[in-house]
Amino acid sequence: MIDPAAAATVESLPSRVQATNLSFFYGDFMALKDINLSVPENHITAMIGPSGCGKSTLIRVFNRMYDLVPRSRAEGEVLIDGENILDPRTDVVGLRQRVGMVFQRPNPFPMSIYDNVAYGPRVLGWKANLDEVVEHSLRQAALWDDVKDRLKRSAMGLSGGQQQRLVIARVLAVEPEVILMDEPASALDPIATLKIEELAQELKKSYTILIVTHNMQQAARASDFTAFLMMNEARYGELVEFGPTAEIFNRPQNKLTEDYITGRFG
Amino acid sequence: MARPLFDSELEEVRAIASRMASLVEEAIRLAMRALLERDADIATAVVEGDEKVNQLHHDLREETFKVIATQAPVARDLRLLMGVQYIGAELERIGDYAVRIAKRARRLADEPEPGPSTLVDLARMGELAEKQVHDVLDAFIRVDPEAATRVAENDDAIDRLYRKTFAEQMSALAADPEHVLATQHLLNVAHTLERIGDRVTNVAEDIVFLDTGRVVELD
Repeated sequence: MIDPAAAATVESLPSRVQATNLSFFYGDFMALKDINLSVPENHITAMIGPSGCGKSTLIRVFNRMYDLVPRSRAEGEVLIDGENILDPRTDVVGLRQRVGMVFQRPNPFPMSIYDNVAYGPRVLGWKANLDEVVEHSLRQAALWDDVKDRLKRSAMGLSGGQQQRLVIARVLAVEPEVILMDEPASALDPIATLKIEELAQELKKSYTILIVTHNMQQAARASDFTAFLMMNEARYGELVEFGPTAEIFNRPQNKLTEDYITGRFG
Repeated sequence: MARPLFDSELEEVRAIASRMASLVEEAIRLAMRALLERDADIATAVVEGDEKVNQLHHDLREETFKVIATQAPVARDLRLLMGVQYIGAELERIGDYAVRIAKRARRLADEPEPGPSTLVDLARMGELAEKQVHDVLDAFIRVDPEAATRVAENDDAIDRLYRKTFAEQMSALAADPEHVLATQHLLNVAHTLERIGDRVTNVAEDIVFLDTGRVVELD
């Protein structure tokens, strides 16, 4: 159940990603059932829920990462810029440029810091001044001051938190619209975690951000909206409640949400 | 998944607030008895007994901050802890009001005995105030916002008696200026009982908050 006041807040904002009756299957197994979700533009939306509820699957639908999984398929509709990205004719390379992704473990390429950030623009054949792109992206990722004197050194020598910000810079270099983050701070220490959260607050001015997190406090402090997903009795992942984060963590409407965020099950 | 340690800590916070409410209910009863029976010893016991209420209020704050700092509560759990903080402050104040009545009772014991009709109304106000504290404690223990709302509605009866007492004492004062000191003490007691009623209404609002998350005005 969605609180009408909270729903009004969500609906009053322009939507960047709009899922309608979205279901997802791994072979015969239905992982997500009838998801309806409007992700507000230039805000941070957190996805929370117990393991196996389908939250990671959901964000992987938004840039068609699931194409890599044999026998998987999505039904329904996901609109990004008015285009249904589930359509088989969608240019997935272009989609993944528009919808970037950051994973749980930092995954810099085994090359220099500079080349990591320049990688995307080079692959896409962009003619832009690469030095400018690299500096701009690293500045946006709040990493420039840390690395400006060692751009040619290996990215593997950076700390975990720096590597994760480098990966974010690499995503930013191809000028995405949406950034998907799957547990982006779970491998980081508390200080590096807070830096990533602060960075996300800056980035939302220019991008729409979705964060999957198991860390409830992170969802509470770092997101504007929260979606709670859960596996139902038939083991389908369902969207139980979605609304402004302050509402979800103060006055959740659904008892399942309340039980989950207060740690009474999960 | 259950959280037994957390749940037992929340239970302790509730228990402290309940003990505070029981003590202030008893303090009102004894303060009024001291007043009506002109018993300075009972009045002194009420004044000294307030230390226990203050200590419990201190314990409540310590325990609440500890739970917030260590358990990162949200939603219903956080509302309970915040609501109990507000309720604790109101109960502490009600305890102070009982002390105020007890102190007036000590002074009144040295004054000429007031007329019976005034005391009847004051006694009735005292009973109502004590019952209000009792009922709101009951609503708190059962986390019953509807019962809390009914308690708040009953505050009107205390307000009506206060207005009646105030008018009568003013008339009495005009007719008999020699009793000005006693009249002033009695008016102060009546006003204090009226304030207790208002504080109980605040507690009722806090109970609605901790159950529903809605901030309401019940007066």
